[in-house]
Amino acid sequence: MNKRVAIGLGVLTPMIFLILLYVIFGSEGQNTEYKPQNEFQLDDWIPIHLGSLNLSVNKAVLYLVLAAGLTIGSMLYVARRMKQRPNRVQTAVESAYQLMRDNIAGGNMDAAMAKKWFPFIGTLFLFIWWSNMIGYIPLPTNTHEKFDLFGAKIPSFALYAATANIAVPLTLTLVVWFAYHFEGIRAKGPIGYLKSWVPAGVEGPAAGPIFVIEVISHFVRIISLSVRLFANILAGHLLILFMAGGLVVLLGLAALGPLTLLMGVAFFLFEVGLVATLQAFIFATLTAIYLGGAVAEEH
Amino acid sequence: MDLDSIGILAQAASDEATAKGLRAIALGVGAGLGTVGPGVGVGYIFGKVIESVTRQPEMRDEITSIQWLGFALTEAIVFYAFIFGLIAFFLSA
Repeated sequence: MNKRVAIGLGVLTPMIFLILLYVIFGSEGQNTEYKPQNEFQLDDWIPIHLGSLNLSVNKAVLYLVLAAGLTIGSMLYVARRMKQRPNRVQTAVESAYQLMRDNIAGGNMDAAMAKKWFPFIGTLFLFIWWSNMIGYIPLPTNTHEKFDLFGAKIPSFALYAATANIAVPLTLTLVVWFAYHFEGIRAKGPIGYLKSWVPAGVEGPAAGPIFVIEVISHFVRIISLSVRLFANILAGHLLILFMAGGLVVLLGLAALGPLTLLMGVAFFLFEVGLVATLQAFIFATLTAIYLGGAVAEEH
Repeated sequence: MDLDSIGILAQAASDEATAKGLRAIALGVGAGLGTVGPGVGVGYIFGKVIESVTRQPEMRDEITSIQWLGFALTEAIVFYAFIFGLIAFFLSA
């Protein structure tokens, strides 16, 4: 058959298939029981309350411990088994090391700063990378819906990322923010550092508004750095959640399932393949840029 | 359109259903319009990358590294708009 007929059939057949599904299975009406925000709810598994401070062990704590353990464990494991003739894992880790040392740290800070801050930036990159990645592995953490496995009640598998809670990126951002201001004050003294916020060559009266804008932009960096990581991961999880079944359940339209599931798989691959690594890279690179900019000489 | 009309609109949301509807519009319009700018921005970045790699193919790796940085920073603006929409939706009760 010629090409046009083939394309036409290729588009028409799935459409007719989906419409047939709708006709056969119908719509169950809107579902108000399922609440997507419960996926990100944190129940206290081991309650630890100090006054009004909630330090309980919950799902996010588990994921943080996992991410930290994987960061430390994976690098130690590879470091202890390094050989002259590297295998594939060692080569991959070596290229990641080179990325962190030369591209992220070295490309954005002068040599002395890069050497001093590389361990921090490397750890930051790896911790955020692992934290994002394990968010796409289903783990049995849903204690509300348990399923039966050979007689034992096991919590249902669910996707969740520690970085999908604003607290984790915000904490990392605050560490970075205080670090780079501290570095700037250490390099230039408090007055010198504040003076460096106004670019050289600005005449007297213009310096005032420019300084105010710089102050605002430094404070906005807290929000932008944390929300960038948080919203990327949260939006990714929400997309996967809604596409791979949430939309179908909420609308009660089982016929929509095959279409949204395909999109859900595509989003999943996109998130795992690109967004998780990219966001870790961006966070680390911006940290290096802020640190480098805080101690840089005027130009 | 003077500022009094905003007051009139705010009073119009006196019952639950209208308030819900207006919140939904706020989220949809806010988050939706917020994707216009970054859409242009991301396209511009990659267009420039294509141009510069065409001019100097040997610079491809360096430019690719900057490309990903620029892409992520521009993409983040979408999520700021999304967060503002969510704030309007959930914190306006």
